[in-house]
Amino acid sequence: MKYLLVAIVGLVLGVSAAGAVLYFNPLAEKAAQPPSATARVLHYSLPDQVLEFSLGEDARLFGQEPGDDSLWEETIARSAVLGLVLEDASNQPVALASRLMSTSDDTDLLLHGVLVSDYWLVTIPNEGTLFVQSTSNAWPFLKETLVPAWYLERPWNGPAEYWPTVGPGSDERGEVVGVAGALRGSEGDAVERYEITTLDPARNVVLASGELHLNLSGPQVAAQ
Amino acid sequence: MKLLFLLALLAGFAGTLAGAHYAPWLPQARLASHTSVVANGGRAEQFLIRLPADRIAATDGEAGGLRAKGAAAMLLPAQFLPEPLLVEHFKVRDSSGSVIGVAARHWTGGSSAATTWSVMIPSRGAFVLNAPGEARGALEAALRAGGYSAGKSWEGEIVLPMHKDAGVLTTGGGEFEGLSGSYTETWTIASIDEDGRVAGTIEIDTVTSRPQE
Repeated sequence: MKYLLVAIVGLVLGVSAAGAVLYFNPLAEKAAQPPSATARVLHYSLPDQVLEFSLGEDARLFGQEPGDDSLWEETIARSAVLGLVLEDASNQPVALASRLMSTSDDTDLLLHGVLVSDYWLVTIPNEGTLFVQSTSNAWPFLKETLVPAWYLERPWNGPAEYWPTVGPGSDERGEVVGVAGALRGSEGDAVERYEITTLDPARNVVLASGELHLNLSGPQVAAQ
Repeated sequence: MKLLFLLALLAGFAGTLAGAHYAPWLPQARLASHTSVVANGGRAEQFLIRLPADRIAATDGEAGGLRAKGAAAMLLPAQFLPEPLLVEHFKVRDSSGSVIGVAARHWTGGSSAATTWSVMIPSRGAFVLNAPGEARGALEAALRAGGYSAGKSWEGEIVLPMHKDAGVLTTGGGEFEGLSGSYTETWTIASIDEDGRVAGTIEIDTVTSRPQE
């Protein structure tokens, strides 16, 4: 009995120590470097510029109601579809974006964090359409904001800023390809930034703003 | 006793880290892919969208027409309403009818009209299809030719290929990275109800291959 007790205590301490290592693990907090000043920036705010948001039943971070149009099928239950209006630097709507997102099989709490595959289709009228493929790391947001402030109801020290992009391109940036219109043939990289400005579990309110920084080469037109 | 404690401590520590690294934390459910090999090489795969069940949302701009009905409306900013622009979101099925992913379709009109699909199958990755865009109101024109009148219900069968020449697979990620290929998109409409809700099927037939190095 004494041996069993010692083994259990040792095991619990070992698990706790590993948990602490994982919690403070810098490997799971990687992010792309902020982009150069020349990048084109399209920005949005949540929920004001959300055109539509459909969420998989296993992807409801904020405990949202699934609704009639939820993604309930097993194959897409960890996915989300988000329609957005994107604005330019003068706060004028310039583009529509469809974001198809799902949790990534490459999620690795030791080396990479909680990864989300994020595919943007961005149409800028009179310019063309861009496809942005990015991998985002949700672990810093989950660890610093969502779990403590939303679920554990601890005081929130916001606003909180995140640069979630961690790939799949070089320098841990997302990849951009121009697929239609005048943007066709252009290539480059992309980085997303977002800022949680209000988080109030009691009132069920989350406000945020986001930016998509695009660095395009090739036949790009009308950059800001 | 001390040795047992240290061994248990080590086992707990290493086991937790190993679990964090090796455990499939967020596995995606995957169904078998329904593909076939085509005669001249490559892999054929069909994706289906059943209307109205699989329509998630569509923009409410003037270009939407019947395609903006029967789903959650994406309310556009005023300056986009008259633009030749239509964004639609769908669930996507494999050829056996099982939902396997989601898709966005962006159509822009004008002199260089274009249709672009972004299709994500969570367990496999994503790909982008691009083709010359159909004429504005192509669906309504085909239905009128088949006897449909606005505001009335209609039943029949209209088969509408959305572009004359095959479109191309432009880029992809995950399992679709590095693939090239072509696709066709065919809308088959079976009925319209009095509210303008369209029932039918969209078929996306792809042929893909991996270019030889």
